[in-house]
Amino acid sequence: MECYSEQTCALAVDGELAADEAQRLRDHLTTCHRCRALVDALRAENRALSDSLNELPEEAASPASSSPQRWSWGWSDLAILAAAMLLGSIISGWFNELDIPAALEWFNPFSVSGRTNLTFQLFYYFAHGGTAMLADYAAVVGWICLLLLLGGSALLLGRRGRPHYPGLRLLIVLLALSLPSFALERRHGEFVTVTANETVDDTLVAAANMVRVDGVVNGDLLTFGRTVEVRGTVKGDLISFAQRTEVSGTVEGHIYTFARTLDLEGQLGHSIYGAVQSLHIDDRGRVGDGIVVAVGEATLEGDVKRSVNIVTGGSVDVSGTIGRDLTMIGRSLVLTNTARIGGNLSARVRQLKEVQIADGATIGGKRDIQVRVRESSFTRPRFYFHQAVWFAGAILVGWLGMLLFPGFFQATTQLVSSGWRSLGLGVGVLAGVPVAMVVIAITLVGFPLSLMVLALYLAAIYLAKIWVGAFLGRTLLKPSGATKSDWLLGLLVGLLILTLLGFIPYLGGLVRLGVVCLGLGAFAGQLYRASRPVMTA
Amino acid sequence: MNAKRNMAKGPEPREGETKQMEGMDLASVIECARGHDGEALGEIYRRYVRRVFGLCRYMLNSRESAEDTTSEVFLKLQRSIDSYDRSIPFPRWLLRVAGNQCIDALRRRQRGRRAIVEVEDGAAVTEVPSSETSPLGAVISKEERAEVRDAIARLPENYRVALVLRYYSELSYDEIAQQLDLERNYVAALIFRAKKELRRRLPHRSK
Repeated sequence: MECYSEQTCALAVDGELAADEAQRLRDHLTTCHRCRALVDALRAENRALSDSLNELPEEAASPASSSPQRWSWGWSDLAILAAAMLLGSIISGWFNELDIPAALEWFNPFSVSGRTNLTFQLFYYFAHGGTAMLADYAAVVGWICLLLLLGGSALLLGRRGRPHYPGLRLLIVLLALSLPSFALERRHGEFVTVTANETVDDTLVAAANMVRVDGVVNGDLLTFGRTVEVRGTVKGDLISFAQRTEVSGTVEGHIYTFARTLDLEGQLGHSIYGAVQSLHIDDRGRVGDGIVVAVGEATLEGDVKRSVNIVTGGSVDVSGTIGRDLTMIGRSLVLTNTARIGGNLSARVRQLKEVQIADGATIGGKRDIQVRVRESSFTRPRFYFHQAVWFAGAILVGWLGMLLFPGFFQATTQLVSSGWRSLGLGVGVLAGVPVAMVVIAITLVGFPLSLMVLALYLAAIYLAKIWVGAFLGRTLLKPSGATKSDWLLGLLVGLLILTLLGFIPYLGGLVRLGVVCLGLGAFAGQLYRASRPVMTA
Repeated sequence: MNAKRNMAKGPEPREGETKQMEGMDLASVIECARGHDGEALGEIYRRYVRRVFGLCRYMLNSRESAEDTTSEVFLKLQRSIDSYDRSIPFPRWLLRVAGNQCIDALRRRQRGRRAIVEVEDGAAVTEVPSSETSPLGAVISKEERAEVRDAIARLPENYRVALVLRYYSELSYDEIAQQLDLERNYVAALIFRAKKELRRRLPHRSK
């Protein structure tokens, strides 16, 4: 007898075949192995479907278990908030007691002078052209918002449903935040030159192999390139990400730099902040304010009006004049005969013989030279305090994340379980994103986008341990429910374990790297998932 | 705190009364609910909200719509429970009602395009030729079940709806046909094709 088709067998397995035909099929099955195997397989398939569907995914466990609107304040939340506030007040008190270098005082949000300085700086900024930029920005944002609103309403009217794509929202936020670039003047190419008789009225963003300013830039100059030379005048700040930055003209604002070398042969109105491999202030160079840098090597031959704060892995050579204090932490310090320090000299070095102060050098204030003996960080109470602050901060961030994006945080935590896939993806993201950022920044159309990506990247690197910690904790504790407090408890336990593991010599570093990769991978995976509507997202 | 949240949308029973209802058998709870007893309706909500929400979540593929539709189902239950005639078990009846509500929601969502009720071509009524894909193997682990759910969620809507009604709500072909306003043959073809598509998307799960 001829065998039955798969569709007929499927009908039979679903119990949907007419009684007489079902009987005929049953008779046939007693003799036909092929059909019996097929029917068995179809039956198993039905069971698989039923089982899979009947096991509701965790997030579908109850209609309102992780909806942000329905979060109500419980005692535990209040306790956490109180703890956070207490911690905040402790930190702010501690911050106040810290010995903050004078040049960084404006940056300290907890001090009165810091706050007023910040306010005045902001006023100053807005008074000098910032308002125009802000107005442009507001106009463009307004337009975009209007368009989005119209588009969104059209979409809503058309579908009567609420579009629920977090990816779309992210894109909108990115778009909105990348708009200020419209108020900037942007140039890119192999060479970007502002010629001697040219004046750029806006802030200039330049990305090129070689950026040279012979003329005048009335706003700030923001550059990316191999070589940046300022021979003319920059009235605002110079922000430079370049291999070599050379200023032989005038920068009236500050210099913020992340460059391999910074040579100052001209005039600088305010301070230098940044991290450079080699800092050189030529004897013609004048710094109107102070210097706060982390450097490989520093040579100060010129004139610095206020204090110099340097953290260095190498040496600091001073043969010029420093108006106020010189504070350095590093390997060696050399003061030549021509060196003049108006205020105090304080140096922290490894060995006393690494400090050479020539007889002709003058130091107005006190000399404070300390030899740093490298002791185990575990013996210092400050280390434990830092770790505790760090730990509490991570818990706080995790809790805030859970409060604001509960679904996303839970799903990302869940995704860590995909193990090697997350790890592989994370390694790719960790290595790939910086490359992508550079590429985007070079094309410059997407420069603000690249900054946004950088922020997201750094945030994700920080958050990675939170997701991995929460996952680890949950795996160990196996809570019955999937509530926020369970998640938070898991995070507490997991993070504690990760922190302790991180202290193991050599292995600790690997663990940390692994955690970052895992978390990044889960984050990237979840971003991808969230950008499309999926049931178990 | 959790209990508070879970009951956010449904008729909310008071603490003591819920306890009383908890032990009651289903028939008496339904009887009370027919008399528009708030606590009985609350008890029905408590017992079946998960199952109904699951159906809505699968059918609508969106958490928010599923929440809305779930509340609609339970709100309407106050009136519709009078039409329950005990010819089929209550959970099955409730899922049928919920299924209808979801189909309404889907139709509202895509006014004009009747995708739920269409099988791609006219050949649907007749025999669908067997392809080389074989049935999915048994699923054992939690991950595998999640994978299957994921794949179902990504199926075209008509396939997804048919599979969910058949294997989650456990409706017969006739009942599905009635709900979707289709002929029974179409439903059979739809389910058959849906499974084939699922196998195609989960190749490593097919034996």
